[in-house]
Amino acid sequence: MPSGARQGWLIATGLMLALCLFFLWQSWLLPLTDKLGPGPGFFPFWLSLVGAIFSLLLLIGVLRRSMAEYEAADSQLPDGYGIRRIAAILASLAVATLLMDVLGFQLTMLGFNAILVVLLGERRWPVIAVFAVAGSFGVYYIFTRWLDVLLPPGVLDF
Amino acid sequence: MDTFQYLLLGLGNSLSGTNLLFAFAGCMLGTMIGLLPGLGPSAGTAILIPLTFSLDPTGAIIMLCAIYYGAMYGGTITSVLINVPGEAASVITCIDGYAMARQGRAGSALAIAAIGSFVGGTIATVALVVVALPLATLALKFGPAEFFGLMVAGLCLVIGLAGRNMMAALLMTVLGLLIAMIGLDPVRGAPRFTFGIPELYDGIGFIPVVMGLFGIGELLLAAERRQANMINADLKNWNPTKQEWVLSSKAIGRGTVVGFVLGLIPGVGAIVPTFMAYVIEKRLSKNPERFGNGAIEGVASAETANNAYANAAMVPLLALGIPSSPTVAVLMGAFIINGLTPGPFLFQEKPELVWTIIASFFVGNVILLILNLPLVGLWAKLLKIPFSYMCTGVLIFCIIGAYSLKQNMFDVWLMLGFGVLGYVLRKLEFPLAPAILALILGPMMERSLRTTLEISAGSFGIFLERPLALALLTIPVIVLGFMLIKPRAFARVRQTDAE
Repeated sequence: MPSGARQGWLIATGLMLALCLFFLWQSWLLPLTDKLGPGPGFFPFWLSLVGAIFSLLLLIGVLRRSMAEYEAADSQLPDGYGIRRIAAILASLAVATLLMDVLGFQLTMLGFNAILVVLLGERRWPVIAVFAVAGSFGVYYIFTRWLDVLLPPGVLDF
Repeated sequence: MDTFQYLLLGLGNSLSGTNLLFAFAGCMLGTMIGLLPGLGPSAGTAILIPLTFSLDPTGAIIMLCAIYYGAMYGGTITSVLINVPGEAASVITCIDGYAMARQGRAGSALAIAAIGSFVGGTIATVALVVVALPLATLALKFGPAEFFGLMVAGLCLVIGLAGRNMMAALLMTVLGLLIAMIGLDPVRGAPRFTFGIPELYDGIGFIPVVMGLFGIGELLLAAERRQANMINADLKNWNPTKQEWVLSSKAIGRGTVVGFVLGLIPGVGAIVPTFMAYVIEKRLSKNPERFGNGAIEGVASAETANNAYANAAMVPLLALGIPSSPTVAVLMGAFIINGLTPGPFLFQEKPELVWTIIASFFVGNVILLILNLPLVGLWAKLLKIPFSYMCTGVLIFCIIGAYSLKQNMFDVWLMLGFGVLGYVLRKLEFPLAPAILALILGPMMERSLRTTLEISAGSFGIFLERPLALALLTIPVIVLGFMLIKPRAFARVRQTDAE
């Protein structure tokens, strides 16, 4: 059974190799030279070729290295507590991003703030309520009125 | 006008009401963001960029530079009080700073750190004033071939000093450059790697990538850890004793020199000067056994070198347009967002702006000293904010930052994707700094190379005909060649460093 860190390195370098090969193919489709000199495909072509070679060398290096070299890195893998919190942050962020265009910044962030702090362990409801309102309606007001930053108004745009 | 007159002009501008306010706000916000454990100056500066969107370019850059310095100092407070470095350079401060806090000397440690940072930062800014203009004047003679050589040399120095795995650093550089290629070709305007997605025609934005890799990535790492307990320190009595002053003064002097000299070299990173200044003090000390057990010189040397480095790192950025660290790359991104390209032409085209920014470094250093000595107790209270609120608050800024530059949710998705990528790559110990620097330098590198090759009708022989370009391109060959031939020697040096 391969170690977690070793598996991670194998997957990461494998994906990087695939990405470089994809860029290599895509830049091959672009003109490498034109009558003025190097074309749009020139720089990315050579870069992705070099990147593919580096990732291949790295992949070979990972395959040749002993398991013991990865043991220290394995001890840094997140435990259940860490995984739950990371999942909470990513899921809340993804849902907020999905809803932002529809509901707008204020309503989305009101829900996002309240739900995420609860998922991260907060239980003082009055504090949560104040934080959620300040972090949504308050922040929206400051950024749009004082700092001239445009944010999605959504359903409250009337 | 000569340098002194320009500096006086800049000082006058930076002391105007609004610019002073921006510097003050930047120092406050920077210190606050630097206090958040796990969130370093790169992420802090990137996250706070949206606050500057409505400001004029001078005010925006003054504020962001102040955020950078403030974040550096904020990291010191967490190092001393909770033994968690706010950023990599504060790792060394943890060693003696936390030991001092446990002995009830947290006030002295933080005061000396603030004073050392002030002295180091101010002297380094004086040196910056002296060095920047002659260097920029020299760089004005550079053609595209020399600029290409300079950028390649800068990137390779970053790679050479990036970490244990040089091949991974090289690969991250290539990936950063490839991401920079997405969008319209900077020379002919042809779309590349856009796959018909309209949002990709403008290229992948620097802000969502940095916010993702550094901001979200660091937050996810912080989310794994249980919140550290803060030492209940007496911060009202922060005045160091006479003996502590004596011990620290020489360390501050040496730390300034080490920080400034190493800050001039692209790619060195803040941890090298802080570590080197610390080691020098330990070697020169009559009682080296005190180091690690609360030696105030340890805190003074590391913090002084850290701030001297931060100011010196602005020399390659302002004079040559080369960012020497991820945070300086974020600042370079902020310059570009504001329609400014740092480098020698900026000195020629907008001298008033450049010198106002340089002069604001002096002002920022004074503000930080004033803020940090009497208000250290207040900053310490911020460390008690629960992670749930801190994390959610930072995410609000990340969402605003990623969305507001182009007003599209695509960039927020990009930030989220790069956040996951940043977390995974950090866990696997892939160096991220080369990717960020490559991302920002990529379009300029390509433009320089292609312009050079157009001049020479496609012949690479032009690099052999231009001695400076050839010399600059030799640097990466030597650095990378040496690293490839002697990787074990480097590993041994790093092993000794770590110990």
